[in-house]
Amino acid sequence: MHLLSMTNYFELTSTEWEAISLSLQVAFWSALLCLPLAIFTGWFLARRQFKTKFLFEGFINLPLVLPPVATGFILLLLLGRNGLIGQFLNEMFGIKIAFSYYAAVIASMIVAFPLSVRSMRLSIEMIDPAYEEAARTLGADRWQSFFRITLPLALPGIISGFILAFARSLGEFGATIIFAGNIAGETQTLPLALYSAIQIPGQETTAFRLLIIAVIFSFIAMAGSELLVKNLHHRKHKA
Amino acid sequence: MTALSIDIKWSRDNFKLEMQADFTDGITGIFGASGAGKSSLLQLIAGLEKLDEGQISIGDDILDNSTIKQFTASHKRQIGYVFQEGRLFPHMNVRQNLLFATKYIKISQQQFMLSEIVELLEIESLLDKLPRQLSGGEKQRIAIGRSLLSSPRLLLMDEPFSALDTSLRRQIIPFLIKINQKLKLPILVVSHDLPDLLSLSQKLLLVKNGQILAQGNYFELIEKDLLIDIMKESGLINMIPFKIEHIDTDYFELSKKTNKGIISIKREKQLQHFELNDEIHVSLRPEDIVIALHQVEDVSIRNQLEGTILQIIKHGNQIYCLVDVGFKLLVTITETSRKNLKLAEGKTVWCLFKSMALKVNI
Repeated sequence: MHLLSMTNYFELTSTEWEAISLSLQVAFWSALLCLPLAIFTGWFLARRQFKTKFLFEGFINLPLVLPPVATGFILLLLLGRNGLIGQFLNEMFGIKIAFSYYAAVIASMIVAFPLSVRSMRLSIEMIDPAYEEAARTLGADRWQSFFRITLPLALPGIISGFILAFARSLGEFGATIIFAGNIAGETQTLPLALYSAIQIPGQETTAFRLLIIAVIFSFIAMAGSELLVKNLHHRKHKA
Repeated sequence: MTALSIDIKWSRDNFKLEMQADFTDGITGIFGASGAGKSSLLQLIAGLEKLDEGQISIGDDILDNSTIKQFTASHKRQIGYVFQEGRLFPHMNVRQNLLFATKYIKISQQQFMLSEIVELLEIESLLDKLPRQLSGGEKQRIAIGRSLLSSPRLLLMDEPFSALDTSLRRQIIPFLIKINQKLKLPILVVSHDLPDLLSLSQKLLLVKNGQILAQGNYFELIEKDLLIDIMKESGLINMIPFKIEHIDTDYFELSKKTNKGIISIKREKQLQHFELNDEIHVSLRPEDIVIALHQVEDVSIRNQLEGTILQIIKHGNQIYCLVDVGFKLLVTITETSRKNLKLAEGKTVWCLFKSMALKVNI
């Protein structure tokens, strides 16, 4: 009897499954879409020196310190149905972004972006630009030296940047609830489902299950990232 | 033939570079203290930096000219650059490093095959290694090979010896002479070590504070009293090009024609890649040469060369005699000797030195 209740306890409901699967999807897409832009921005910040760089950096890092709710609100003002860009998109192409799956991805992307850039930038800064110079004297243009030299050398940082963005997206709440809403099956990711479960009396079991899963996911992502980076460094310095 | 012409005006952070020179085929040594602007010069030639004013050209091909807004990007210049630290790509093995540039050259334009370079530089056994598994000399050889495989029309080398100990230098120097002679590739070598440069070439460009002090043959520069000050620390040295006359399994014979006869020396063979008639530079220190007024018969010294004193250069307490014995030879003597022997320009003398004083730089 007691055993049976234990198994029930760990049996997830379909809404919970949906929230988990949605979370993973949103996090994956947002980390993936962040990647090229973050690599480019990271390279730009690592290699280019200009006077107004601090302004640019400040702008990039804004979502890192801005309350996520505020970020979500800004997104809503820009991409909402009556927003600056949202209105245009809606009228011209009939595209509605706010309160959709895409909105959840965009909100996660924006919030994860500075973390991702930071990781890319650090790893590119570690690579001596002398190698790129050498590549150029050997006939490679700037793009080719970037793809054949800088990118492979920065790989551990790039992977850890990807995982950081993924992990941050998994935990994203504030911007998502404002910009994408809390629609079960469409925008209700794990943190939002957890929030809902806490709000409703009698849902303590659900809340607890989701909490455990959130902890496990976050732990796997971070430990996995550490392990990967360590292995890559190891391979670079040993093999 | 002119390999490269430069007319450079360039400044960066209070440092000014103003140089005008023509370089011919062959190896030119660019000599100067650190901070003289040697590396900046190479970077401008390679297109890693842009001129403020002036022009850099190879024949009719203008690479950089600010007036007509012509600038050929580094990757299109076909100028090889061997960096001081080698700069081998750490994530690629030796073979991948060597072949890096071949992606960017049409097969019809490729001057060398990997196999030729591998043989020339004796690097067969290193091909599957990673850069960090290589010694300094091996890295340097791979860096040279990697540049050569980019089919350059000019090779720039920045302090190629600084990371190497003496025995490794002796390995690299003959390779470079061979590359220049066999592959007809003009080479500019930057160094702050004159004996190293002289073992490569007697054509020098002297650089100081971003300007060219002088350009010319080593002995011309000595005659003009331009080198002695700069060189005092490293010591003046004679560099005599010898030819390989005979090669045996474990030794080879070198010879050099003089006014009257031939000097020949026999040395143990340490490296395999030499052929008959290859040129090898042999050094002889000015203080190892004795001056006599007549040939000396009852003495063990076999090398006795008759010559004329071209010039006597006084420098502080030191006196240098430049003697033409069929080639130029620099000899150090004391003031007392000069007085006793009544040495003067135009006088016929004999230069005596032991064969053991001849140092073969291989």
